[in-house]
Amino acid sequence: MQRLMPKIMLKFEDVVAAYGERNVLQGFSATICQGEFVGLIGPNGTGKSTLLKCLSGLLPLKSGEIVLEAKNNRDYSQRERAQMVAVVPQSFDIDYDFTVEDIVLMGRNPYLSYKVKESQNDYDIVTEAMRMTKTLSFKKRYYKNLSGGEKQRVIIARAIAQDTDIVFLDEPTSALDIHHQIEVMELIRDLNLKKSVTVVAVLHDINLASRYCNRLILMKDGQVVTDGTPKDVITEDNLKKVYEMKMFVQENKLFGKPEIIPLRVIKETEDYRSLRIHVICGGNKASQILEELDALGHQVTAGVVNQGSDDWTICDVLGIPMVEESPFTSISEEKQQENLAMMADCDFILISDLPFGHGNINNLLGLENLRGEIYYHQNCSNNDFTEGKLTRCLEQIRAKKMLTEIDDHQEFLEIVKNRSLIEKESRSI
Amino acid sequence: MKSRFKKYGMLISIISCIIIIYLCTLLGVASISFLDANKILLNQLFHIDLGMENISAGAVAIIWNVRLPRIILAFITGGALALCGAAYQGIFKNPMADPYLLGVSSGAALGASIGIVLNFSGGFLGLSGTAVLAFIGSFATILIVYNISKVGRKVPVATLLLSGIAIGQTLSAIISLLMIFNQEDIAKIMFWTMGSLNGLGWVQVIAVLPYVLLGCVILLTSVRELDIMLLGEDTATQLGVDTERLKKKVLISSSIITAAVVSVTGIIGFVGLIIPHIVRMVTGPKHRVLVPFSLLFGGAFLILCDTLARTVTGQEIPVGIITAAFGGPFFVFLLRRRKKGGM
Repeated sequence: MQRLMPKIMLKFEDVVAAYGERNVLQGFSATICQGEFVGLIGPNGTGKSTLLKCLSGLLPLKSGEIVLEAKNNRDYSQRERAQMVAVVPQSFDIDYDFTVEDIVLMGRNPYLSYKVKESQNDYDIVTEAMRMTKTLSFKKRYYKNLSGGEKQRVIIARAIAQDTDIVFLDEPTSALDIHHQIEVMELIRDLNLKKSVTVVAVLHDINLASRYCNRLILMKDGQVVTDGTPKDVITEDNLKKVYEMKMFVQENKLFGKPEIIPLRVIKETEDYRSLRIHVICGGNKASQILEELDALGHQVTAGVVNQGSDDWTICDVLGIPMVEESPFTSISEEKQQENLAMMADCDFILISDLPFGHGNINNLLGLENLRGEIYYHQNCSNNDFTEGKLTRCLEQIRAKKMLTEIDDHQEFLEIVKNRSLIEKESRSI
Repeated sequence: MKSRFKKYGMLISIISCIIIIYLCTLLGVASISFLDANKILLNQLFHIDLGMENISAGAVAIIWNVRLPRIILAFITGGALALCGAAYQGIFKNPMADPYLLGVSSGAALGASIGIVLNFSGGFLGLSGTAVLAFIGSFATILIVYNISKVGRKVPVATLLLSGIAIGQTLSAIISLLMIFNQEDIAKIMFWTMGSLNGLGWVQVIAVLPYVLLGCVILLTSVRELDIMLLGEDTATQLGVDTERLKKKVLISSSIITAAVVSVTGIIGFVGLIIPHIVRMVTGPKHRVLVPFSLLFGGAFLILCDTLARTVTGQEIPVGIITAAFGGPFFVFLLRRRKKGGM
């Protein structure tokens, strides 16, 4: 049975560490086994980099302990530790004229005593590390003249040359463009899979973390919030708790991993009076306006939307009340009446940018009898598949009340903002 | 190109240093002919007699007991200062670092000033009392600075620099005070602080050499770690360098070398600051090359400066003035060229 148990590489037990009086890590515990690719995620200042400092022996623990391959981390010399854990920092600049090869060769330092020069074996390891990271072709160039992506690859080459069981990366992609972010992550995954190196990476990009790591540890205030597979960890509830903002989680169809879409943080609600607004939607173009109206603090409703459409998804996530209809079916009489009832007390009704056909044109029936102001997105007329019904509906509405035409949703948002703005003067009374 | 430079550069530099030592021994105020000087050297070094009968004992003494030891001492002093400068600049990651940074020079100057004021006549193994006191002064200063900066087991570099400056300033104030109350000694103290190799001989060479050799060996065994230290202390730690131990090792050995040298020669400035920079421009930042080349270049530079100091006018000029007068502008020239050429 012993054989089947994965080997424990790194164990944090109730780690507490502080800068001066301020405790940054407050009882962090996690066990990391051989061959895992662990992502540490969480907002700034939650102690992810501090954890790295503790592991490197740069910051003493206040209490708790770190066990590195069955021995207390405290009991290793810098040299021994550097033979077991390699560190890839965020980004790293030097002013001196060291070549790429010089930098990578420094990875061999933990194995060399001051008496000996680097051997052929060391140079072979260094060359192999540079080959893996595609840095071999510019090994004689000065490190300081390289681009950000090249520099990061050189530092990873150095970590490879260090030939350790564990590689700890501190935001390895934060200074890179998309191409180099993916390149670096792929490189790390190769290292993890082919050389069975245990990887612990502090990552800010949750989507990258979800995609590449097989385990995520979500941290806040120096503690573990959740620890598990990306599917377990990346949920709206967990992320909302930790990042204090609305996020939208969906499954990325390409990778089968959860993916987040951050929504917004700053709330403008204070300046606006809440209105009742109904949005007639159901396609894929009203998501943004729904979200923005909701964020302004208005009581938004929507209908009639087909389940599974983009507009439906955003309503579902944001908790916007709506009248729903099964996918690919015409709006039933019953739903149409329900929708009408929902609009009865509205201040504004927006006919959003939406293609109209026989299936959904009855959305517009009976609008002329409502008290709310009606706004119509002109683009609807360009996507009219109703053979004249749409025009007739609009005429019917126009006969009884005003129908304001708008060119885009943003225009509607401005109108709503103007109308609902709480005057500074009146507020101060 | 570079590898060839590495291969032969060291050999060429060593030969050049020997040639400089040889040529400068022939130069001097006393009129000893080229031929006689060579005869004396051959006779003393290799016991080859090419007709010593016409040469006065005085000439032999000038060549063998005055010029040669002085030149060798100049080489040791210049080399030692440049070596320590290179090590300090590496450990502090600061281009302005020089061997006097931690107040070694002020400590030595205070010790020497006390010796001069008290007219301290006692000596030790042929060294003057002033030199002995200077050595004690500089060493005490290092201990004080080091202990002020120590936080637990660690010695933060920034604190070390600042306390070095603070202690240095305090000691300078005490020296000034000593000079005010002992105005008859001002000239002597001033002369001492300007640094000179005048009147120094084999005794001083033998007194200084062991410290310098020991220090060199220690520094040369730290070259790889010094390179890594340039990447920052945190990174160095993660690459297996015990940074606190390395700092201690380099600081203590450099301080001992500097203290030994300063206490016999006085404060010779600029060599420890500019020679490592000049060498770095040629060899690059790797200490395995930088450290030995700094030693050779620094030595050669000080020999040349000292030769000027003793030959250019009838009166002996303190060599510290020459090093500063040449070193400053030359360094400015190099900096400007570097800025333009993007070396």
